[in-house]
Amino acid sequence: MPKEKKYRMNQIETAPTEAIVGPSDLETTLTEWNRRDFLKTAGFSLAAFMTACSKTPVNKAIPFLIQPEEVIPGKAYWYASTSHACGSGCGILVKNRDSRPIKLEGNPEHPMSQGGLCPVCQASVIELYDSKRLFNPMISGEKVTWDKLNTNVVQGFRKSRKNGQHIVILTETITSSSTKYYIQKFLKKYSNSKHIEYDPISYSAILDAHEINYGKRILPQYHFEKADMILSLDADFLGTWISPTQYTKDYRKNRSLDADHISKHVQIESRVSITGAKADKRYAKSVSEIFQLAQDIEHALQSNNGHGLGLELANELKQHKGRSLVVSGINDLSIQILVNRINNALNNVNTTVNLRSSSNQKNGSDIAVSQLLSEMKSGQIGTLIIDGVNPVYDLPEGDQFSQWMKSIPTTIAFSQKETETTSQCNTICPSPHYLESWSDDEYTSGILSMTQPAIQGLSDTRTLRKSVASWAGIENDERNLVRNYWKKIYSTRKKGSQSFNRWWDNLVHDGFVSVKLTSKALKPFKHGTLSNNNWNDGLTLTTYSSIQMLDGRHSENPWLQEMPDPIMKLTWDNVACISQLKANELNLNQGDIIKLSSNNTSVELPIYIQEGQHNDVVAVALGYGREGTQRFKDIGPDWIQKKDTLGENELVGERITQLLSRQEGNIAFSGISVSITPTGKKADLALTQTYNTLANPENTAPPSMKVRPFIQETTFDEYKKDPSSGAHHGHQVVTLWKDDHPYEKHHWGMAIDLGACTGCSACVISCQVENNVPVVGKDEVFRRRDMAWMRIDRYYSGEGDDIDVAFQPMMCQHCDNSPCEPVCPVLATVHSSEGLNQQVYNRCVGTRFCANNCPYKVRRFNWFDYAHNDELENMVLNPDVTVRSRGVMEKCSMCIQRIQEAKIEAKAKGIPLADGDIKLACQQSCPADAITFGDLNDPESDISKLVEDPRHYHVLEELNARPTVGYLTMVRNREEEKGGNHHG
Amino acid sequence: MQKQLKLVTLLIFVVGLLVVLNNSTFRMPGNQQNYEPIQPIDFSHRLHAGEMDIPCQYCHYGASQSRHAGIPATSVCMNCHKYVSATKEDYQLEEKEAVSEGREMKPITSIEISKLYAAMGYDSHGNPIKDKEGKSVEWIKVHNIPDFVFFSHKPHITAGVDCADCHGDVSSMERIKQTEDLSMGWCLDCHRKDHELLEATPERTQLLLDCATCHY
Repeated sequence: MPKEKKYRMNQIETAPTEAIVGPSDLETTLTEWNRRDFLKTAGFSLAAFMTACSKTPVNKAIPFLIQPEEVIPGKAYWYASTSHACGSGCGILVKNRDSRPIKLEGNPEHPMSQGGLCPVCQASVIELYDSKRLFNPMISGEKVTWDKLNTNVVQGFRKSRKNGQHIVILTETITSSSTKYYIQKFLKKYSNSKHIEYDPISYSAILDAHEINYGKRILPQYHFEKADMILSLDADFLGTWISPTQYTKDYRKNRSLDADHISKHVQIESRVSITGAKADKRYAKSVSEIFQLAQDIEHALQSNNGHGLGLELANELKQHKGRSLVVSGINDLSIQILVNRINNALNNVNTTVNLRSSSNQKNGSDIAVSQLLSEMKSGQIGTLIIDGVNPVYDLPEGDQFSQWMKSIPTTIAFSQKETETTSQCNTICPSPHYLESWSDDEYTSGILSMTQPAIQGLSDTRTLRKSVASWAGIENDERNLVRNYWKKIYSTRKKGSQSFNRWWDNLVHDGFVSVKLTSKALKPFKHGTLSNNNWNDGLTLTTYSSIQMLDGRHSENPWLQEMPDPIMKLTWDNVACISQLKANELNLNQGDIIKLSSNNTSVELPIYIQEGQHNDVVAVALGYGREGTQRFKDIGPDWIQKKDTLGENELVGERITQLLSRQEGNIAFSGISVSITPTGKKADLALTQTYNTLANPENTAPPSMKVRPFIQETTFDEYKKDPSSGAHHGHQVVTLWKDDHPYEKHHWGMAIDLGACTGCSACVISCQVENNVPVVGKDEVFRRRDMAWMRIDRYYSGEGDDIDVAFQPMMCQHCDNSPCEPVCPVLATVHSSEGLNQQVYNRCVGTRFCANNCPYKVRRFNWFDYAHNDELENMVLNPDVTVRSRGVMEKCSMCIQRIQEAKIEAKAKGIPLADGDIKLACQQSCPADAITFGDLNDPESDISKLVEDPRHYHVLEELNARPTVGYLTMVRNREEEKGGNHHG
Repeated sequence: MQKQLKLVTLLIFVVGLLVVLNNSTFRMPGNQQNYEPIQPIDFSHRLHAGEMDIPCQYCHYGASQSRHAGIPATSVCMNCHKYVSATKEDYQLEEKEAVSEGREMKPITSIEISKLYAAMGYDSHGNPIKDKEGKSVEWIKVHNIPDFVFFSHKPHITAGVDCADCHGDVSSMERIKQTEDLSMGWCLDCHRKDHELLEATPERTQLLLDCATCHY
């Protein structure tokens, strides 16, 4: 009998007690009803009555002056483009309503993203309508015209040349070939200039290792779909590493349960990532242990002997020679060389590790930046042009960088917003949001992705491409700069025999085109030498890019700030994650503020006790503590007990990059020796999974129900023997309900594959954008009043650092026997003839009985009128969905507006609705294709087949609510003793 | 004390009632039946839709494709009014005068059409003025639907509902007027009816009584 496994919500329940106490100072006694009160009330009611009788205000209808071709008000148009928000370059479709982009969705035809889109890219649409964007070019704080700016800048270039100083263009990785071309033109014109690229989350070591091993500085494209055995050494490839959406899509391809075998994924990591949560086997190891392990594996592969885990993994990898893949997310040259050696020894090169059509997503060099730093220090730089990066914040040497910048005569920053770096620059060039600009990007060699404007520019902006071209003497508009470049070179790169105009039109229409590869001559594999043996033992720091914030460039995005971290469920903060054991050792509790010190610098952060965390590792997310997050001071409803969203530093979270150090020039993001000192202070953490849990309270639960079987899990071998293995059987339900809902036409249903869901939260943001879900601020989240219609519950099982993590997306289950419906006194929540549980806002009087009676805890109450004061920001609202007002209940509507639209469309065409015509927002965005939606009345639909699948189950089935949202058992590919039948 | 209180309440109620009744038309909040505001241009639906028999969807082209029927862009008006600048009577009058005075006919523009030209940024004879930008006509919206309701023209056109069923006999209206109260009860009157007579809908409209048909 396999071991029983129970998933629990959290080891440490830190429900804020303060938040559930009512506002005592607002209590009023209404026992005495005196004359004055009566008159006041009577007068008020009369006034209210009169107001209600008065005429509705006059509305104006202002049409277009000139009718634009093919534009019909109220109809959505979709444009193919490319997302530039997270750097992986996913193909997107921009939903454009009445000339403004309101929603981004993955382009299903795009060969990389294949229809998925990460939460950061989904959320980036709101940044377009940011009223705090830079709107005008500025010199020394004064608004100027672009012409004035250009004259001024060119004078600066001449001065630099005269003084014998360098001109440096410092950018993030540039993937646009036309931009590269114009930069080259510029470099040619100004001979004393150079171009340096760096990535704030650096992949420099991978690139450098390839230069050593293969003679060419490239980043390979990894093919997870071809790998039968995946070993990841601290690479969060399903979360944030290089191209997570593409990798998730690919990863899923080799995990189809219909196949004879599925891939096996082993994750070795120092913190708990979503990739680790998804892994078939996860080991918590510190960075020095990972280095040791990589050496052991390499040794075992070569000598066929070794010991322990290294030998075990080496043997497993060897069984899948040519179909295995080893990746590492540690920015250390020695580890990356070891990874290359292992992949080479396993014949993985050009099967799973593609060096021919390599990735251009990251090309930055940390060593080039450290050289720049020393040049800045010695005053050799005359002009510094910065685009897309924020070195004062990003670099460990940020403070010195800002000091040295002051002595540079001309500093030019291209930016959308004010940053730590722009405030140090004398010339500011506002750059456009990617939804208002043209670009041609080759994120992976061979696939040219097009970016086209989906809205007329909201401000007077220019791209680096245009400015650099104009400084090099080439004047043209943004579109033609890109177009002319391709016109020149397309004959060498095009596939097929189209004319240029045709080729260009197709490119703009489809959003991408396949082009010929430029040749990359690789040298035969060289062994290389490992130089780094200086690993810190003891307590070390691991910093990582979180799914919400990445490197911090989106820190001013309220949606991302309020998106709960998939593992911690934390919003509006970064914390120091330590293990329970470490916390006990240091006598610390969750929320205690500690001082984290390294290299004579220190940062104060609250403690978060993370299950599964390595005992000697402190994990902290990068990207917090950004200047500009001061704007969130007043976010959330304004009321008497309101508390600040910001921390003591008046920012959201804490910057951590100053604690990082360099190893052989490369920035070490992990393995930094740190010490912890308690400060005695305490912080409130706005966690979302301390409430609205489905768990039975320990003291009231019946013995068999201490832990409810929310998550059902099995192993692949078990599944092959018995597809229903892991399923929870046995609830005999006696029903008192009549079957009085015939569902004649449609019966909508949904199934979520827990085996596929990675917890990435793309669906959460997609739902928020689609359904106008408001942002409430940290204090309101802390008071258990977040408004997310869709949440992802995270469950742990196991002990110590050997844990399993499971995710369960949870939204309104649209029960056939909805417990919320009979308790509503005003019939504001009723059942539709198509099986949906409808929430009618204009009937709702806000008794909240329904939320109380919902076993899944998915209903959200509008405690306030959430702010919609920013007229520019309101442009992002979906006009097809009501903006709810104070005092009404709301919840997932199963994207009823999408269902209605598809039905209207089908009716207009005179054809019946086909399976797949309706794609819900969450379903569409899912990079793992975990969500299926459809009509249960159609026996041929995907959803009907999934409902019949032996893996299908309902959460809290025993309550007989008969949800139409079902879940599919999670299947891990591991040996039996770890998995098994999990009864609650 | 009690007695006084009752008296005051009664007084307030009576005064309130008087004020309300004095306000002549008592109606539920949001009900704008018979609303007939004066528009910036005295556009006559009677002339265009009635006399000229121009199909509704020539101007309100969105109705069959979108939620909104749409108010035509000024450029759509100009499709005809590039050539038609006054009424037939005015033309005939001018022609008569020109003949009697033995001269060429002068170009004439009616007051209302000159407003249209002004909106386009044209001179009084409908010729573009260089570098002058136009400004859209700000029509007063007549048919307003209450909040929280999503109404789409498209399925109604698909189902073969006649424009006049909801908008009244527009072809006889000099100035556009809201003839129905556009309340939920009024919508449901129709949605509840047996619609077998409707040409394009094979199934009965009765299925569309779910709240979420309109409220989301």
